[in-house]
Amino acid sequence: MQVLVVGLIAGSIYALIALGIALVYKATRVLNFAQAEIGTGTLYFTWWLCTRHHLPWIVGALASIAAATAIGLVFEALVIRKMMTAPRVTVTVATIGLFSFVLALELAFFAGTIYLVPPPIHPGGVRIGGVFVSWSQWLALGVVGLVALGLAAFLRYTDFGLAVQASADDPVAAQLMGTPRARISAFTWGMAGALSALAVLLIEPTVGVLSPGAFNGLFIGGLTAALVGGLNSLPGAFIGGLAVGVVEAEVKAHLSFNVIPSSNVTAMLVIVLGVLLLRPQGLLGATAGRRA
Amino acid sequence: MSAALLEVRGLRAGFGAQTILHGVDLDVPEGKVVGIFGLNGAGKSVLLKVIAGVVPAWSGSVCLAGEDVTRTSPERRVQRGMAHVPQGRQVFGSLTVEQNLRVGAYALRRRDKSRYDERLAQVYETFPKLAERRRQPAVTLSGGEQAMLAVGRALIGDPKIVLIDEPSAGLAPSVVEDLLGVLLAVRSLGLTMLLVEQNIRFGLRLSDSACLLQRGRVVYSGDTASLDQERLGTYLGVGRLLADDLTKGLGAKSTQPRRASRRKAATVSST
Repeated sequence: MQVLVVGLIAGSIYALIALGIALVYKATRVLNFAQAEIGTGTLYFTWWLCTRHHLPWIVGALASIAAATAIGLVFEALVIRKMMTAPRVTVTVATIGLFSFVLALELAFFAGTIYLVPPPIHPGGVRIGGVFVSWSQWLALGVVGLVALGLAAFLRYTDFGLAVQASADDPVAAQLMGTPRARISAFTWGMAGALSALAVLLIEPTVGVLSPGAFNGLFIGGLTAALVGGLNSLPGAFIGGLAVGVVEAEVKAHLSFNVIPSSNVTAMLVIVLGVLLLRPQGLLGATAGRRA
Repeated sequence: MSAALLEVRGLRAGFGAQTILHGVDLDVPEGKVVGIFGLNGAGKSVLLKVIAGVVPAWSGSVCLAGEDVTRTSPERRVQRGMAHVPQGRQVFGSLTVEQNLRVGAYALRRRDKSRYDERLAQVYETFPKLAERRRQPAVTLSGGEQAMLAVGRALIGDPKIVLIDEPSAGLAPSVVEDLLGVLLAVRSLGLTMLLVEQNIRFGLRLSDSACLLQRGRVVYSGDTASLDQERLGTYLGVGRLLADDLTKGLGAKSTQPRRASRRKAATVSST
């Protein structure tokens, strides 16, 4: 039971990364390799504001989210918009460039030292049915649930949200319907940045330390989740995140490091291979033939 | 003579070093259907894309209702009254019928949200099948229903002109007939339309006047009824027998008065 709960909590954060990956992929057919690194880089803002300026965690968190959103928007304006007609593989390589750039900045300014970010809420937690869940973990579950529901409602019930979905189906046709293509693209990348920051902010209390590239595993989990759920399905990404979190926790609990080193990462590789072989479109993803 | 709602003057455009359109002039009078015809590579679809704003014009002008829109974005042209039925219909498969229509009304809802319900009701009145299927994902519709949806989605924003790109391309013959029924019904509403079509028979049955393109230049512009066999044969590669058939058909069509005002909506119920 403890393993299941831990898995669901980690999985909910994978789901946030997977949502960002799926949102960008759905809208642009590009795999964003910087999805977790953006949030890692901007977490240093939280550390700086909370430890150097003694501001509350929420202020640091909002600064991190704002900075990550800004990175997404600037990347979209300077790179993505200029590569509108470029092959998707080329744009995907550009996201590897963004990943390297953010990581290089982290290494340039923060290499060699481990930083501690104050916890979002005071330590402690509550035991339910024999399972201990910390307040930070409750916070993560609550925030992820709210964000997923909010994003789903926004995409389904607002004109702009429907325009984002239409643009994901066919950007040129959506533009010919009068939807604002540039704003939709900016929204997609800005939202991806915000989701990245949120995921890193929520997983950090569990990891406990901040160092350059500290959350690379988050990207592997998020990418696995997005592939399991279907790269072009937001509900699929969410369910995939939970599933991957639980499988990872079970593998960690039952296979010691001595039997298979990094067994959790190996498990994800097995999951990805299994999905690609048996159901390449993922659990809820649409096949190419389903497109109108 | 009706005033031209859409005026294209000296339009030049292309890709890289290749010029596709060499100074095209085109008038689309209000309330008329103009068809652009030509062989493959004549520049028909590029012309429509430049008018839509998807492909930039190198020089020349595009004026909609007297306003120069040559340098404005496609979405701003939609806000000014241009609507589109893209090639291959391109309904948004993951959205429901009603969500597709709402996306089509994006500009209208930003301009005047209160008119949306009225327009939606009019589209459902014109296409009752869409009302029945309003909660269904568009991808589950038949080809004919998707055609209705694509046309309904263009009409819902109360456009001044509808641009239709190769509506029959890639469709089964039965679906082409359904689509023709849909577009003839829309034509009877008195809406201004600009049509690009490879299927000459289909296009000429819908159009009041024709613009024949050859290698990016206009070689004929005038009533479809005045198109003779020689021109059809020379510029469209239509064989003599078919040309006879077409010109006879056009003569018959030209004597039929256009029905009703656009407020008196025709009903389309084919599948």
